[in-house]
Amino acid sequence: METMRCEVAVLGAGVNGTSIAYELCRRGKSVLLLDRKVMGAGASGACDDMILLQSKKPGILLEMAFASLERFKALVDELPCDIEFDTRGGTILIEDGEHLAVMEDFVAKQRACGLDVEIIDAARLRGLQPLVARDIIASTYSPTDSQVNPMLLMKGFALGGTKLGLRHRSGVWPLGIDRLAEGWALDLSDGSRVEAEAIVDAAGAWANDLTKMIGFQVPIAPRKGQVVVTESLPPIGATNVWSAQYIVSKLKPQAAPASGAEAAAKKPADRFGLGFAFTGTHSGNYLIGSTRENAGYDTTTDPEALGLITRQVQRFFPALSRINFIRSFAGLRPSTPDGMPILGEVPGAPRFFVAAGHQVMADLICGDKPTFPMEAFAPGRFAATSPGAAR
Amino acid sequence: MEEVDKAGADRLICRCEEITEREIREAIRAGARSVVEIKRWTRAGMGICQGRSCRRLVERILAEELHLRPEEVAISSFRQPVRPVSMRSMDEEN
Repeated sequence: METMRCEVAVLGAGVNGTSIAYELCRRGKSVLLLDRKVMGAGASGACDDMILLQSKKPGILLEMAFASLERFKALVDELPCDIEFDTRGGTILIEDGEHLAVMEDFVAKQRACGLDVEIIDAARLRGLQPLVARDIIASTYSPTDSQVNPMLLMKGFALGGTKLGLRHRSGVWPLGIDRLAEGWALDLSDGSRVEAEAIVDAAGAWANDLTKMIGFQVPIAPRKGQVVVTESLPPIGATNVWSAQYIVSKLKPQAAPASGAEAAAKKPADRFGLGFAFTGTHSGNYLIGSTRENAGYDTTTDPEALGLITRQVQRFFPALSRINFIRSFAGLRPSTPDGMPILGEVPGAPRFFVAAGHQVMADLICGDKPTFPMEAFAPGRFAATSPGAAR
Repeated sequence: MEEVDKAGADRLICRCEEITEREIREAIRAGARSVVEIKRWTRAGMGICQGRSCRRLVERILAEELHLRPEEVAISSFRQPVRPVSMRSMDEEN
């Protein structure tokens, strides 16, 4: 069968992969985008729509979120389709004094990093969210939190990239990756072959399936999140909403998967890593999550978790008890041991890049100086294995 | 597209989300190759009936456009709770 040649092969057509492919096309590279299933078949098609600055750890992740937000604003005009970008602001509901102390500390650190965020009292909260439960003692508020429709974002990157010469094939995947004198050769599942000067592994929770083909392990594990979708509703308050517990769950060092007796002893909400996330889409449907589970690659939704989520909706918004939900889904976030994305060139494998968790990769691939110091994200930071050593 | 225009490309395929036959054919011509991609690009099948009405129609249009046999069109996923369910019906006492 034929051999396709390109400068960069991007593997994985989620938000990350389509974004990298598009950015590389803008820089004049010839790019081939491949996906094992279809665009957005992984986490990017099973997530909510937030660009949430308030949840980012103060430091480089928050700095990068600022840069991402500016990029999204530019993409609104640049991409060939609407991406439903909106800035409604966000509120994180605080239920008790313990969470108030955690959030006061977190907010102070974020303010020091330049985020416009504050703690507001219950009265001000009710001005923004009139239907919120009466016993919520306080909230954070940031006018900066934004949102984008991930499906339309991927569509925009694909259509925009296609205009610039992007080639895109879905339903094919490498079965083997071999090193050439210059670059890499991929043997694809349909029997064809690709030769690329550089490879970008943008396979998210599946990133390790690709790196292990060249003898390198990235410690990425799938972290499942279940989400409930409501019927289309009139706007509920002015902002998108989270619970302080959501932030606490997210900031917690990632615990080992609970199993057996240990898991059984935990409360269901803890076992599922429950946190409240409530965002309204342009179509009026609300996306309500979510869980943080170590459940392997399983993406089924289960009634126990959905029951936890629907009870939590009623706890924070009692008036919503009679509204319907019409759909549920689960997605797999790529999680890492240190909670930082894995971005960079694989040690000992020139021009083989991993991009799991963020999109600042075009600079690195083109050999330009990245806007951010990238050492903290280097794929080799965990490494006992390198492609040379493992062979 | 000519014969479709005559036949009425503005007719609704997905009645819940008000998606026309034209929008679905345009999505396929822009690169969508499966029911799930059409769903994500156009919202056909994402409304309150969850595709109960339009799923078969979308599959048929896809087969026509891509010259596939009906059995070659991959069906999209069915998601809980299949029919609309109120938040409170999930409470433990129910």
